[in-house]
Order: sequence, then structure tokens, then C-alpha cells
Amino acid sequence: MKDLAIGVSGINAVDNPGPGVGVARSLKEDASLNARIIGLAYDAMEPGIYMDWVVDRSFIMPYPSGDGGAYFDRLAYIRDQHGLDLIIPNLDAELPLYLKRAGELKDMGIATFLPSMEQFKLRGKDKLAEVADRMDIKLPKTKVCTSLEQLHEAVEELGLPVMVKGSFYKAYAAYTPAQAVGHFHALVAEWGYPVIVQSIVSGEELNVIGLGDGEGGSLGLVGIKKISVTSLGKIWTGVTIKHAAMMEAANRFIRELKWRGPFELECIVKGDDVYLIEINPRFPAWVYFATGVGVNLPARLVRAALGVDQPPAPDYDAGKLFVRYSYELVTDMVKFQQAVTRGEVG
Amino acid sequence: MNRLSQLALSDEGFVFDPQTGDSFQVSETGIAVLRALKEGRSDEEITQQLVAHFEVSPEEARRDCTDFRGQLKNFGLA
Repeated sequence: MKDLAIGVSGINAVDNPGPGVGVARSLKEDASLNARIIGLAYDAMEPGIYMDWVVDRSFIMPYPSGDGGAYFDRLAYIRDQHGLDLIIPNLDAELPLYLKRAGELKDMGIATFLPSMEQFKLRGKDKLAEVADRMDIKLPKTKVCTSLEQLHEAVEELGLPVMVKGSFYKAYAAYTPAQAVGHFHALVAEWGYPVIVQSIVSGEELNVIGLGDGEGGSLGLVGIKKISVTSLGKIWTGVTIKHAAMMEAANRFIRELKWRGPFELECIVKGDDVYLIEINPRFPAWVYFATGVGVNLPARLVRAALGVDQPPAPDYDAGKLFVRYSYELVTDMVKFQQAVTRGEVG
Repeated sequence: MNRLSQLALSDEGFVFDPQTGDSFQVSETGIAVLRALKEGRSDEEITQQLVAHFEVSPEEARRDCTDFRGQLKNFGLA
């Protein structure tokens, strides 16, 4: 394969890490891709900028807000100066812009492998009931609230404790009505309406990472259990598993929605009952775990996006351990200066 | 498939459930009982095996076997 310039965002490998470094590392490990990684960062302090063995060149990007004009101008600049064959956006907040202007990206000669806007909206927290139904799995009792009155009704109906969730990010447990109201106001202030109120289901928290081909077929799935998490709820150690009911639900998700692109399913499993908690329409930050057990989903995404034939998804072994660790690098201040003054490093 | 037959059991007594990711540690006796259960042996056969290999009476071995089955049930494995 010819030298490929691949844009990767979410290279903020901090205590709440983005998936970008795991994606970039996976691409680098598939030598036949000849991947040249272009880091798309929002802050000069994103560690991926300085990890030159993983990210070849980094650019500071404008935020993907408004109509995205400035963002797309920046992409055009990168493409013209250094080449940009494909982008793997890894942050939730970027996806609406990428989906809205997908045609324009294609015209610019930049490939992506993402779901349609319709599919993206379906996985929203306010639409999970419909998706869970199509996946034939359970959903904790859920109420979508757009007013304080509806919140009180939801808490009354579901009974305490409940999870109070923002429409995009964040979820808090509420054990009293007052806590529920506090979380409601905080979430509305940060993320707007609606707010989702959900019964708490106890059981094992299991997750699946996957990649759909857009025609109902799977390009790879790996199931895991988080053994330990940080205070922010991020995985620190985990183990691969094969929970038959959960994996079948993931396959149904791909088949029923004809999902195109990466995703993560967050589930609670109680015996043979699988409850859907959340669908993330992107790779999770632990994407390298799948690569490490032989299922290199970012590399498979690249081939799918470029229409390159590839063998069926490989299998993996249950019982493989994932251990995240902290590490340090020391580099020259010049790189930081370049990020701040020129907006590009490498 | 039977949950017990899926369990991975090491010689050191480390048990891994590939369905849930749970892991357990069992004693030497536990290893013997679990291996026998995975092979589909009856409680009576397991009792005889325990009596033959460990210094226990048949009553004690039977009780241990029943207790072990109870624990497996508690963990959703039987």
C-alpha cells in the first residue's frame, strides 16, 4: 500500500484519555499500511503531539463549532501542505460536523468511515429504547425529561436511586430527590436538554468494541470486562471475555442498524440478561486492547474506507489482560513553542 | 454450553470465567472437585475420589462436595 497520511484526533492521552493515541499506535503496528499519522489536536498540551514515535506531525485545530468553516479550512491546509488521505475522528463533539459535511470531505479527497447522521442520532441516549428493541436486549427503565416537572414524575415512577444523564456526556447517581434536581440543573446548564433518568441495574459492567461495514456485516468485535477503573471511571485494567448474549447483541446492532464505522457498547450483564447502557459512535480510549489481542480495528477501518479487500475479522482469546500504565517522556521545549506559535509540530 | 465446562482452570487453582471475566482461586481440594465436575462426574464419584486422595471420611468429602456446589451456584456457575 502506498504511503498513507491519516488524520487522527483525540490524541489527548491524559487522565481522561481520548482514543487517538491508541488508534495511531494500532495503525503504526500494521506496517503494510505505511501510515503517516497526522495528529489533530485542540491544545498544545495534548501528549500525543510529543509522542513522535506514534504521531508523525501534529496540528492545532480550531474547535469544530458553528458551520465548521475554520475547521475545514485547516483540514484543506493540512491536505495541501502534507497530504491527508483519511481521517479517523475520535471525539464525540467532532462527529456531527464530520457527518454534516461528509460529502465535502469526499470532494476534498479525504476518506472517512463513519455512520450516517440518521444512524448517529439513533444511538443518542434519548433514542436508546428504540435501538435496544431492535437489538433485542433490555434497557433499564428510562425516562427522557425536558422539564423539572418531568424529572419529578420520572423519579416518582422509577423510584430511587436513579442515574441522571446528560444528553451527550456525564451521568450521576441520585439517591434523593434533591440530588436528582441538582444533577438535572447541572446537566442542563452544561449540555442542554433533554436529561435522561434511568433505573440503576446491578450486575457486571461489560463492554464491546466493534466496527460495522455499513451493510450489516461485522469487521471485528472484542468483548471486555473492566477489572479496575480510575476515579473518573476510565479503564485501568481489563480482561477479554466472550459473553455469548452480549456479542450476539453487538452483531444484531451492526446488522439491524447497518452500522458503518467504529462503536463501543456499554452493557450491564446480569446472568443471561444484557442491559444496554450506552452506545458510543467511535472507538473507545482502550481501542489498543483489541489490537493487542489481534483485532486491529483501526487498520481494518482504513482498509474498509479505501475499499481494500481484507480477510474476515480474526478471532481473539478470552482471558487476555490489559494493563494501562503511566510513563513520562522528556523532549525539547521547541516542540511546545512550535505548537503554540505555529500551530504545528513535526 | 455448560458454564462449568467453559471455565479455565490452571494447575495452581486459578479459575477464569471467559463469559464474565470473573476469576477465582480454589484450593487443592477445589481443583480436584472442579476438574471432576467439568468431566461430568457424579457427587458419589467425586466423594470416592476425595476419600482416595485426601485424608477425609466419606461424610466429610460429601459435605465438602455439596458446599462447593453451593458456592458455584452462588456465583452463577452451576
